Amino acid sequence: MGEVVVARILFLAIAALGLLAALGTVLSRNLVHAALHLVGFFFCVACLFVMLEAEFLAAVQVLIYIGAVAILLMFGIMLTRNTRGDDATSLSGPWRLPGLVAGLCLFGALVFGINNAVSPSGASPWAGEAARPSLVEREGEPAWAAERRRAVEDMGRVVGEEFLTRYAMAFELAGLLLTAALVGAVALAHRDEVGAAELPPTVEALPADSAEPVGTAAS
Amino acid sequence: MANDIPLSWFLYFAAAAFATGLVGVLLRRNAIAVLMAIEIMLNAANVNLVAFWRYGTPAPGAGPLPGVILALLVITVAAAEVAVGIGLILLCYRRWRAVDVDRYETMSG
Amino acid sequence: MPVNALPMDLRDFLRVAPAVLLSAWGLVVVAADLARYRRRDAESRRLAVGRLTLIGVGLALASAVALFGIDSLAQSDAPRLDRLLGESFASYFSRPDGLIFFGTLASGLPTDVLNVLFLTLLGLVVWTSTAYAFTDDLGEYFALLLWATVGMMLLAASEELATLFIALETMTICLYLASAFEKSKPRSAEAGLKYFIYGSVSSALFLYGLSFVYGLTGTTYFDAIGRVLGRGGHEGLAGNLVGGAALLLMLVGFGFKVAAVPFHMWAPDVYEGAPAPVSAWIATGSKVASFVVMLKVFLHALGPWSNPSNELMGPGWLGVVVVLAAATMTYGNLAALAQRNYKRMLAYSSIAHAGYILVGVAAASVSTAGPEAAGAVLYYLVVYAFANVGAFAVAAWLARDRDGDAIADLDGLARTSPALAVCIVVLMLSLIGVPPFAGFFGKLAIFMEALRQGPSGTRIVLAWLVALGLFNSVVSAFYYVRVLKAMYLREAPSVGGLQRAKSAIAVPIVVATVVVTACGIVPSPLMDLMRAIARPMLTATTLDATAVTDATPAAGATARPRPVAWTTPSRPE
Repeated sequence: MGEVVVARILFLAIAALGLLAALGTVLSRNLVHAALHLVGFFFCVACLFVMLEAEFLAAVQVLIYIGAVAILLMFGIMLTRNTRGDDATSLSGPWRLPGLVAGLCLFGALVFGINNAVSPSGASPWAGEAARPSLVEREGEPAWAAERRRAVEDMGRVVGEEFLTRYAMAFELAGLLLTAALVGAVALAHRDEVGAAELPPTVEALPADSAEPVGTAAS
Repeated sequence: MANDIPLSWFLYFAAAAFATGLVGVLLRRNAIAVLMAIEIMLNAANVNLVAFWRYGTPAPGAGPLPGVILALLVITVAAAEVAVGIGLILLCYRRWRAVDVDRYETMSG
Repeated sequence: MPVNALPMDLRDFLRVAPAVLLSAWGLVVVAADLARYRRRDAESRRLAVGRLTLIGVGLALASAVALFGIDSLAQSDAPRLDRLLGESFASYFSRPDGLIFFGTLASGLPTDVLNVLFLTLLGLVVWTSTAYAFTDDLGEYFALLLWATVGMMLLAASEELATLFIALETMTICLYLASAFEKSKPRSAEAGLKYFIYGSVSSALFLYGLSFVYGLTGTTYFDAIGRVLGRGGHEGLAGNLVGGAALLLMLVGFGFKVAAVPFHMWAPDVYEGAPAPVSAWIATGSKVASFVVMLKVFLHALGPWSNPSNELMGPGWLGVVVVLAAATMTYGNLAALAQRNYKRMLAYSSIAHAGYILVGVAAASVSTAGPEAAGAVLYYLVVYAFANVGAFAVAAWLARDRDGDAIADLDGLARTSPALAVCIVVLMLSLIGVPPFAGFFGKLAIFMEALRQGPSGTRIVLAWLVALGLFNSVVSAFYYVRVLKAMYLREAPSVGGLQRAKSAIAVPIVVATVVVTACGIVPSPLMDLMRAIARPMLTATTLDATAVTDATPAAGATARPRPVAWTTPSRPE
């Protein structure tokens, strides 16, 4: 019983921190602070993945969200030199209160819905004390229980198997998507002479500043 | 692992994060801030997906971990989306010296 | 070796050959542009890269047509297929379930027909892109068009939510990028950013809704979702707030992709700001793919939630879609009346057409014809897509010669290019829905499906919706006629008018005209084909699904009015 209490307290702490971080991201005027809050939120979500016994996913979350996405966002903030924030970065004044009320209403509706969810599959309802299916091996357990146990215990391998069999096409598409994003973003962000001529002269030393054709960067 | 945190707690967390992200999208005008709020919404959906995977009873033929696979794909999409978003934001920033979504108004009607 | 790894049939990759070819060809185009064409002058480089891209599209089209031939042979004349391909391949291709990659993708006739459609349209769009200079990054631009098409083809073929999501994102992210490619114009960058912001927010909403659907049903396969939801019987969504929220969120996602009111805000700005060929591809390819997958999700997976209690405003999505359709077509047409800009007018017209198509989606879910009713929607989509590709080729013409896109720029075209002016008249008449052009038969088919209801509460409301649709068609005539008026009744400007169209502009216009005329004069072959592929498209199910179906089919499931009949095996032998 003690274990359960500890786990619950841990969950509540992580969830509270995560929500505070999310609020901080949305509310803070300084964009760098917002990005740091976002990193905190990503980390809390990774912790929740661990509590859901998806450690592999937690690792991926840390590597990609914190390691790549947050860094990219930081670069974006720096390159637009919007570090300290201005009027445009804060919540627009007259809409602040209605916006927050609308958010609370949405949250309320979702909580109400979650509490009263009607699951057509006849599975246990979501509200209340629904416990996760046990991973302990039992006689006469359904086939999916064994599958689930293997997935939890050896997630990296099962994810690999799934991506190379059942989700092979989704996996290929993900690769294509990343290639397309890379090629397209490089083509867009590199500066050509036409664009540069129209701008007011500024002193900049940006990495994207070169007038080189995209080829050097893409290849 | 006998920690049975109720499923609904995870769902409440996701709902709260989702609502926060949506408020951010609606109220912030800075494009990078909007991008961050979108990331919060995507993460909320991911928490939902993984929680449903771990707690739910799969329908026949669903595979061992559809929720986790979907979450991984979402993470990939988010990375691509941020790269594209930053590229587009930089492009607009060079033109207008502003990252304010409302300020670009060359078209109307 | 792990014992649980599923055996994978590598022949499945043959059946997605068009998509594989296009993805690889995108890389070829980028590499060739960097290595060989970059040093040439702008004009010849544009033509060379465009020609190279067209070769790739042609190869993919050839493979799609070959697959179409094989699949139709497998249905009609199996012994001949045996002799052609050998036993093992023949039996592989005549498998009746029509699913590949463990049920995540559909294959077979519906997919082949849609692939041929996408590739033909893509060919026209690529050809239009060579008409005028709007970007310096030609290799990247054409590669993104190809990759967006890969997303569309797989999106239209997806049978499972994870595949659907990643295909949807591949398609839209490529289009976000492509719409910002006209770097000399600020409005192109603005269009890209607006499209991106609205698009990512809508896909986040869509994803959150999708997660609830997964949570409620425990599966991501369309067919399995339909089976699980079907067990709810007449209850449908009653009292299921979270199901309703999931449904609404998914509807927001699709509503954005097809530009339905009130999720249309991005469309006019993006269509106006993006380069004309990209606007064409957003208005046609992405809309066709989104509508096809919307049909699949709403009729196949969420079909049991459409109208379970047989009353219009009962616990289901039918009422919502009806309201959406009415608002979309009315708003689109009224807003188009005020436009002076040709591309913006086309944007509002395409919003209005999304409204008519939504009528078809609503009608198909309750039509007594079953899934074949969706054939009307598919027919409409084909006709709409061709007419719009032609119409946007005109926008490319305006951009090339006038560097603008006001309707007034078309003044006096009937005198300078009489033949093409006639073609444009035909396209506009088809978009209005005037017989004998194909647009008329598309509208007719959709409205007939809406009236083909059993006796129920929905009938009268759908009849009103049809009346509203007819009224809207009349309204739409006013703004399309404005184009005709400019061409025929005004004088051409003495200097700086439209020059002669080269093949890059003339071919798409002429091809579109031929298609809408031919399908209008003889509508039945295309209509029959679309009706024939609608059933397998919306009922694709894994072979063993019937074996593992729940042990509780119960009275509720059999008493359901409609979807039970749908779950018959896709191709009765």
